[in-house]
Amino acid sequence: MARRDLAGATALAVLAIVYLVANRRYALDTLAAPGPGVFPLAVGVALLGLVVCQAVGAIRSRGPVEPAAYGDKHGRVLVLVALLIGYGVALHVVGFQVASFALVLLASRVLGARDWLRPGVLAAGVALAVHVIFVLWLGVPLPRGVLP
Amino acid sequence: MTDGSVLPALAAALQPGTALACFVGVLLGTIVGVLPGLGPAAAMALVLPLTLKLGPAAGLVMLAGIYYGSMYGGSTTSILVNVPGEAASVVTTIDGYRLARRGRAGAALAVAAIASFVAGTASVVALQLFAPLVARAALAFGPAEYFAFTLLGLVVLANLTGRSRVKALAMVALGFMLSTVGMDPLGGAVRFTLDVGGAQGGLSFIAVTTGVFGVAEVLAAAAAPSSATPAARVAFRDLYPSREELRRSVAPILRGSGLGFLVGLMPGPAATIASFVSYGVERRVSKHRSELGTGAIEGVAGPEAANNAAAGGGMVPLLSLGLPFTPATAVLMSGMLLQGITPGPFLLRDHPNVFWSVIGSFYVGNAMLLVLNLPLVGLFARVATIPARYLMPVVLVLCAVGAFADNNNLFDVWVMIGAGLLGSAMRLLDYDPAPLVLGLVLGPVMERSLVQALTISRGEVSGLWDSALSASLLVAAAAAASAPLLAAAWRGLRRGVR
Repeated sequence: MARRDLAGATALAVLAIVYLVANRRYALDTLAAPGPGVFPLAVGVALLGLVVCQAVGAIRSRGPVEPAAYGDKHGRVLVLVALLIGYGVALHVVGFQVASFALVLLASRVLGARDWLRPGVLAAGVALAVHVIFVLWLGVPLPRGVLP
Repeated sequence: MTDGSVLPALAAALQPGTALACFVGVLLGTIVGVLPGLGPAAAMALVLPLTLKLGPAAGLVMLAGIYYGSMYGGSTTSILVNVPGEAASVVTTIDGYRLARRGRAGAALAVAAIASFVAGTASVVALQLFAPLVARAALAFGPAEYFAFTLLGLVVLANLTGRSRVKALAMVALGFMLSTVGMDPLGGAVRFTLDVGGAQGGLSFIAVTTGVFGVAEVLAAAAAPSSATPAARVAFRDLYPSREELRRSVAPILRGSGLGFLVGLMPGPAATIASFVSYGVERRVSKHRSELGTGAIEGVAGPEAANNAAAGGGMVPLLSLGLPFTPATAVLMSGMLLQGITPGPFLLRDHPNVFWSVIGSFYVGNAMLLVLNLPLVGLFARVATIPARYLMPVVLVLCAVGAFADNNNLFDVWVMIGAGLLGSAMRLLDYDPAPLVLGLVLGPVMERSLVQALTISRGEVSGLWDSALSASLLVAAAAAASAPLLAAAWRGLRRGVR
């Protein structure tokens, strides 16, 4: 618990410092006419104060180390994250329907499907349903990609 | 239609298009409630593009239907499979699953549905009475009062959310930080966009919500070992509670309804807290309190009434003040804004049809849920057993469609993927995503009201507490912030004296 809290506090502290440095580009002006930098300054300082409190609490805590409330199949998570990033790129290239078909097919396998038939049928069904509902009915211009 | 009577609200909700939207909403809500993990906020965000096509009244009625419908569905899997579909139904597993193992699953499901119906309907009556009154009172709110009230709400939220107030407040601050990306709400300056064109309009609320709830849930499912729990089959003839079970349920339902509505007015995971508070009350006051924990019907009736009444209570600050204090009502507000409707004190004056349609749909939707849930309970229970390997990839695609359709922009899909990774990191580090989402929604409200209050008072910080109302709200916020610290100090002092 303490180690996790310390890790979280450190990550948030780095984020708050980067945010405050980036906020230097925006004017503070006066209290009577606050500029666009005032609210972010207050938020960044508040976050920094909070993570200091959290870090102090974590250091002073003498409780037992609790395991993370998360599963242990981290390899599957990493493959799924890679699939998601690939999906984001594929949306630009091959368009929504093809990318979504591939995502459902491969993600089903990653999550434990043992054959290709059922994930394939599911992927085709999802791609078709998305096209009918969102493109044909709702008129959402889902990306078609750059391939002819 | 401003007299607060039931008939105009019902007439508005029973328009064919609105009634159909209500039916689809409560059906989707029940399925979402049944499915562990995918909560109402993420599901509402997913269908947001669809509701735009339906128009303001029907679209918002569908979103609201998903919200309170999910409270019904959550109890089904709690009782039959010992897996709560929603956090608000966790407490129902204690006695509900034990009743099921004793062969009283049908009775427990029927009592849960009846309790949900009674509490849901009672909370709408209270909502119908309170919302216009609060809206009229809110006309006295200026920027300083809005700032103070939002601050109070967020402090109370931090007190009630998760295990650590500091972590909850840090997530609110992180949400505020994300809300500052894009155009500044008053001056129009573009901030923190890293010169990415798609970020100029700000980070899409839908993309962030579907990411931290939906995508993070899929990643968590990937990390978890595969498991499938067979659902108990319940025949329609088994759905009759005995006269004794019904008699024992009446008082817990009434207590749960009142408690749930009051807890629902507060920020935070009100439905979950309401169900636990109701269970705690039953353990103290019920005539059969010794049976609680071993399969007592009171342990199902009270909490199920409380979590449904809390959903109605949570609508009061949204409809009358324009301030959402739960992720689900934040999505509802987002839906209103997309339809060009600003929730708050002027909602009833400017859009009476929308206001009364939403109120009326609660009556109609609760009746639909009762009819739907009793005969179809076995079907809903089987939905919960769809393997994650087939369900989760579909959720991913729906998240991507929802994120893209918000602004027809692929940048938002990347925001969703980033928010999903952030949500997973937050789970690993034990941070609750709900305060972050609320910070994202309430950030612009806080910034606008702070800047306006300072401008009106010509730079005098005392302008924030000049009026009696804003001063009282700030004192309440300070009291709420210091109460846990004072309580801890008091406990330490007492230990020292002993």
